[in-house]
Amino acid sequence: MTTTATQDRPGPESRPGRGRTPGAARAVLPGVLRTALGWTDAHRTRFALPDDVLDPRTQVNGTLKPLGELAQLGSTIRCTTAPGTPEHELAGDLVAYAWEQVHEGALLLELLRAEPFAAYPYEIYAAFAGYGLRHEGFEALARPLTATRAWAHTEQHANRQLGLVNSERRVGVVTHTDAGGVLSRTWLGGLSEPWMFEGPSGYALTHTVFHLTDWGRMPDRVPEKIDGYLRTWLPAWADGCLESGQWDLTGELLAVAASLPGPAPVELLDAVWPVLADVQHPTGCVPETGAPVQDPAPDPYPFIDCYHSTLVTAFAAALSLRSLHGNGERGETGGDVPGRERHTP
Amino acid sequence: MFTTDTTATDIELDLDAALNPGEVEGLYRDSRECAYLALLAGGGALLLSPPTPRPKKG
Amino acid sequence: MDQTHATSPLAGAVHDLATEVVLALRSGDHLATVCGAAGIDEENRTGIAAARVIGADLLLPSVLYGRHPHPGDVAVLDRAVREFPPKPDAPAATAWSHWHMISTLQRMAPPAPGTTAPAPGAYAEPDAAWLEEAPWQAFTHQLSVLAPLAVPAAPSAVQRAAANRAVDLSRGFVRAVRRRDWLQAAGAGRWLAAIGGEPATLGLERGLDFVELMGGDDPRVSLHVRAARLMAEARAR
Repeated sequence: MTTTATQDRPGPESRPGRGRTPGAARAVLPGVLRTALGWTDAHRTRFALPDDVLDPRTQVNGTLKPLGELAQLGSTIRCTTAPGTPEHELAGDLVAYAWEQVHEGALLLELLRAEPFAAYPYEIYAAFAGYGLRHEGFEALARPLTATRAWAHTEQHANRQLGLVNSERRVGVVTHTDAGGVLSRTWLGGLSEPWMFEGPSGYALTHTVFHLTDWGRMPDRVPEKIDGYLRTWLPAWADGCLESGQWDLTGELLAVAASLPGPAPVELLDAVWPVLADVQHPTGCVPETGAPVQDPAPDPYPFIDCYHSTLVTAFAAALSLRSLHGNGERGETGGDVPGRERHTP
Repeated sequence: MFTTDTTATDIELDLDAALNPGEVEGLYRDSRECAYLALLAGGGALLLSPPTPRPKKG
Repeated sequence: MDQTHATSPLAGAVHDLATEVVLALRSGDHLATVCGAAGIDEENRTGIAAARVIGADLLLPSVLYGRHPHPGDVAVLDRAVREFPPKPDAPAATAWSHWHMISTLQRMAPPAPGTTAPAPGAYAEPDAAWLEEAPWQAFTHQLSVLAPLAVPAAPSAVQRAAANRAVDLSRGFVRAVRRRDWLQAAGAGRWLAAIGGEPATLGLERGLDFVELMGGDDPRVSLHVRAARLMAEARAR
């Protein structure tokens, strides 16, 4: 999609991600999280569903997708932050707002009645169900549908099928297949040659981890081999994302790094977070890709070009803070790191 | 002793550069999606998926 | 990146010389002189400068196949060592490649009995502490510049630094491929083939095949990849 020559590469540093200052991630993360959530709150009405959302001609990618993402990422931020903190409260508000937008689930039931054989209404519903927000009527209609052979044989990419399995787990029904088998069919589960990483495989990889770990809440679901593989190669992939200005994917890779079991990958977090913090606009939004706007005036980017990366940044920041806290700032510091991929003999 | 001084200097400069080259400019290009033979071009919504690809602004 | 098209007489001579080294590596015999085939002799200053750039790889076919080097190649390498010593303020990589040329000459073509041996300490190893401290990106780039040092049985502080940072070099290989910097990727891959210890998931063998096919217009890419394959084969035996 994008061809980027590094001569035009944005960013204040000539070589982003090169140096590493211990404690650098911890220094910027609270501000990044606070401002990204603040931007989201200030723009919450942009996530509002239009009156014609159920019209078959309405684009779901511009309506239901952003709202589902607000619910999904907001609920993880809520669960990851400490009760009583402003971030915790704000994230809860945003999820409640999204739940209002779907009329406490009634609109999702209408959507399901309109498109009963689609998977996405169920996936959006699961974002709420995983948070404890449920709608009896939706589940009553979904129950027989998700028990069919057709549901179990929905044709889609393996990482998305893993998403369905996770949705089923959240709703609390028997999963249509074993997650391990699906995982092994993903780009990540196949431990693909890391030099073949690029945007599409990168997004497949991050979503595999998100679905596997229930959006970062269950790091222990990452198998040891995949943990080692990710710890080994994430630094190389993140470096390329920084150099080519793929900020959205950078944020997703940081969320993956912070969803690993065991010690936080401190070196990686310290190298990458300061760069993403510099890209973040003073109002809190983060562009998906490309040179960041230097103008401090509000709304430097169209909503559709920055809402996803801003949500992802907040999500990754919350997970990173948890990961760093969980390790008492020790984390992984290089050398012989337990969990890093074993080398060839 | 081999050639003129000017050429010798040029060679020395070229040589210094060749012995310590900087990094070449990185070139990044991702695979595109092609809907060839796809049954559902641009099918359903990809919930919680990467940002929807949009034409890049000039 | 197209790094091959000659932008200067020196670049053209380097291209020709690297091409001859690749041919010698490919054929497995080293009867003809690499320099002679490239039209370079001791009186050709551009050619000698090119030999300084190719460095000890001038003798690589002999090193990897365990044969005696051609006297003509030894003479050109020796001339390059003397003609282009590192300046006092030269970057460390320049000092290292020069040191390695001397050390290779001493190993592959020891001075005849009766000739003057170099004073003790005259060819001491340059400093390598900067390499140990470099971030993995810069480390890989510098190691790739110093790829001629990635040969068997040629211990150096650079080689020890590489062996201690095989994962960093592997990351650098991945990074170089993503940036489509085939020459750097080939150099990093050559180091990994020389020292081993890369993570199993790297897939180095196919990665090097890919790098050669994508970047093989530059004979230096082919040179490094072929050196890597020969070393990997030797390790496997």
